[in-house]
Amino acid sequence: MKNQLKVLRAMRNWSQAELGEHLDVSRQAVNAIETGKYDPSLPLAFKISRLFGQPLEEIFDDGFDGGQNGEA
Amino acid sequence: MTDSTEARMAKLEDEASNGRSILWMVMAGLGIVMTLGAIAGFMGEHQSNGGGALSSVALAVLVGFGAIIAGLSYAIWRNAKKLKSNGEPMTKRERLNRNIILGLSLLGGVMGVVLSTSSIGTTAHNGPGPLSAIFSSGPIPLTIVLPFVIVWAVIMPVVAWFWHTRAIDEQEASAYRDGGYYAAYVFLIFAPLWWVLWRGGFVPQPDGVAIYLTFSMIWSAVWFWKKYR
Repeated sequence: MKNQLKVLRAMRNWSQAELGEHLDVSRQAVNAIETGKYDPSLPLAFKISRLFGQPLEEIFDDGFDGGQNGEA
Repeated sequence: MTDSTEARMAKLEDEASNGRSILWMVMAGLGIVMTLGAIAGFMGEHQSNGGGALSSVALAVLVGFGAIIAGLSYAIWRNAKKLKSNGEPMTKRERLNRNIILGLSLLGGVMGVVLSTSSIGTTAHNGPGPLSAIFSSGPIPLTIVLPFVIVWAVIMPVVAWFWHTRAIDEQEASAYRDGGYYAAYVFLIFAPLWWVLWRGGFVPQPDGVAIYLTFSMIWSAVWFWKKYR
């Protein structure tokens, strides 16, 4: 799943380790989420959302376009 | 996105997975252990042939083994430096994670050295070399069985509980689950297959240690791939 984590992190000038410390996960986990190799659990996604003060859908993009291309 | 954010983003491009470096370090570490085993086997063979002074060919072989160990040690050192050059401090979980791995590696190393240098690790007992002797089904003296049972049945469950509740995060837990799935499917498919083929007279009797090691290696390989890819 695409996400804005790296942009948000850059805006705060945080390293992956610093963000990991805020979220209580490893730097590797932050890296995996940023690169779209791992989708965070719902509790972790909400934690990220609260940390950056942004709604979930502003941070994560599941590619759903509202059904405009025929998808229900 | 502002210019300063873009500049910061560009700076962040260097941050990547440590997987490749860690894989090299693990492979080099295994290579050192195997080379030490080869040296032990070589010297055991020398002793069983009467011992005495080493010939120039034997010395050259030992120097070759030494060069391999030196090269592999250099590979570990270089890749460890790469880990540091990421320039970031570890999170609390990562530090705990690393310390547990280092502790268990040390314990495993000590156990490996004890096993390979003890009577069950000698070529005369159970097989063509120390490693095959350790993983064979030959008898083991009580002085080795007892410490092993204490480590495996008492210490390991505590470490495993601590590891899964304190040291790993959800991404690593997910990697563990995926590894478990792959290993379980291979086990469920191939273990009965081996058993049936054995009963049909096509293959040797199923070997529990081989099945256990295969299960563990598949689990570990998938865990590593999922965690560090």
